[in-house]
Amino acid sequence: MLDLFREIGQTLRNNRLRTALTGFSVAWGIFMLIVLLGAARGVRNAFEERSSAETTNLISFWGGRTTIPYKGYKDGRFISLKNGDMEGLKHDNPGIVADAGAEVNMNHVISSNRESVNTGFTAVFPRAAALDRVEMLYGRFVNSRDIDNNRRVMVLHENNAKQLFGNAEDALGKTVRCMGLGWTVVGVYGGQRGRTNYMPYTTYKVLSGNDDEVSELQVHLEGLRTEADGEAAEEALRATLARRHEFSPEDKSALWTWNRFTSSIRVGKSQNYLTIAVWVIGILTLLSGIVGVSNIMFVSVRERTHEIGIRRAIGARPRSILTQVIAESIAVTSLFGYAGIVAGMALLQLLDMAIGNSDDFRHPTVDISIALQVMIALVIAGTLAGLFPALKAIKVKPVEALRDE
Amino acid sequence: MIKLQALNKTYPGVVPLHVLKDINLEIRKGELVSIMGASGSGKSTLLNILGILDNYDSGEYWLDGVLIKDLGENRSADLRNRMIGFVFQSFNLISYKNALENVALPLFYQGVSRRKRNALAMEQLERMGLADRAHHLPGELSGGQKQRVAIARALVTNPSIILADEPTGALDSHTSKEVTEVFRRLNDDGMTIVIVTHDPGVGAATNRIIRIVDGEIANGNA
Repeated sequence: MLDLFREIGQTLRNNRLRTALTGFSVAWGIFMLIVLLGAARGVRNAFEERSSAETTNLISFWGGRTTIPYKGYKDGRFISLKNGDMEGLKHDNPGIVADAGAEVNMNHVISSNRESVNTGFTAVFPRAAALDRVEMLYGRFVNSRDIDNNRRVMVLHENNAKQLFGNAEDALGKTVRCMGLGWTVVGVYGGQRGRTNYMPYTTYKVLSGNDDEVSELQVHLEGLRTEADGEAAEEALRATLARRHEFSPEDKSALWTWNRFTSSIRVGKSQNYLTIAVWVIGILTLLSGIVGVSNIMFVSVRERTHEIGIRRAIGARPRSILTQVIAESIAVTSLFGYAGIVAGMALLQLLDMAIGNSDDFRHPTVDISIALQVMIALVIAGTLAGLFPALKAIKVKPVEALRDE
Repeated sequence: MIKLQALNKTYPGVVPLHVLKDINLEIRKGELVSIMGASGSGKSTLLNILGILDNYDSGEYWLDGVLIKDLGENRSADLRNRMIGFVFQSFNLISYKNALENVALPLFYQGVSRRKRNALAMEQLERMGLADRAHHLPGELSGGQKQRVAIARALVTNPSIILADEPTGALDSHTSKEVTEVFRRLNDDGMTIVIVTHDPGVGAATNRIIRIVDGEIANGNA
């Protein structure tokens, strides 16, 4: 075995430039494969981090405008969802609805001792923190005791907090005035995603008197597995709302929907297609490298016909010639393939450090199992690349090979 | 050592070429024989058959008690390796291997360990007076030195017979004499040697000359 390596080393060293050029095409193929796989992994990681059970088992509804006349109503009627829809949905769809929530959006003036701001508010349940991916800077989000006790607390966006108190952190624990009442600031959040301020849903409902209207209904689903389940659930919920608000269940614009369950399954599927596509592209790139190796091995065998003849004359069995050519091909592919893997990993590390923390691209890495799969693919490829030239090499008769100068 | 009985060889083609016609030949152990003939006479074909590099159509070839006929590639490779030492006109050394590695190569195919094959190869190089050139590449050696390295390679497996194909064809007259002298010395040590040549000087230095004319053995010496 050691002798075989020595032989290979000697012939490869003997043709440095050729070895390097061949090797480069393989290294490049593997490099591309690794980088593509890593990038696909980065996209997938970002998606998986965004989607937890809490944020994907959910369908949201917003009222729209009817386009079909129904039960004596003309079209063009605005549908506004109601507080009571939450209980109605739960009651009519047991086994589908785990829980129902709602949000109300509004605008109010909020003031501290020094400033007043007219800004947006959202009355929410604690889940909104996960759904809206709220990044808390100081304090906490709306919690269940705020809901149960109708507490007058607020979570401000940092821009508002700065405007009202000069410094976002200073807002914490302070009192602000809004809707004629005093509210305690329990948290400040940041980020570019939405700039509303949050208050407990129940507190808002109590303060707004008999106003029953909600901006958004959020239905938390249970027991769903497939995309079809998700679509069926959406239909059932839509039917309930259509009955309650007397619009046609066929009327798509009467009710706006965001089915996070089915869309997450669809995204998951498209991620799989992405991964497959990446493998295909990567393998094809690699294949061109492999064809290069095979080609070079043909040249190498041709060039060494005389040498092979000498070896045959002094007693090399066809098998040992075969082994040597194939081993040489495997050596070139795995050696440079390994270099390609290392280079690809290094680039992914750099990408990770540079942009690995963004929302759509997260930790683009390939794990050891993929690296292993790629290595195995390499060895197989190397064997195939060497096989045909090797078979050609042993077909030549020693006498003819010796005559070849 | 070598016995040919009614051996025939024809190269197929539009006009088949009958190169060896009913060859009968015996070479005994310890002989130093030369085969001479014009080019195209069939002497190279005969040497290739003797060297198990080529096959023949009919007749029998016995080498050291083994019938060499219709052998598989592996078997003929093994027999070449163990029973025959080749010396070629153009030396046929592997250019990127040094003298020692070239001499040791046949032992590599016997699966001899590196340490042992280098020791045996060194022994043969010493015998050829080339111990100090062991780590030189063929390109750094003179013609005579190259041919002596090739002879060392032929000897390293301790074969039954040495087959030399125009061993002096690429050498000047002085070096030719040297190489011929090497063969004589080996023969004195008991080695059976067959030399194909058209150099009368070399032929004269052998104990017996076999002349081949048009695929037949010409003189009664055989």
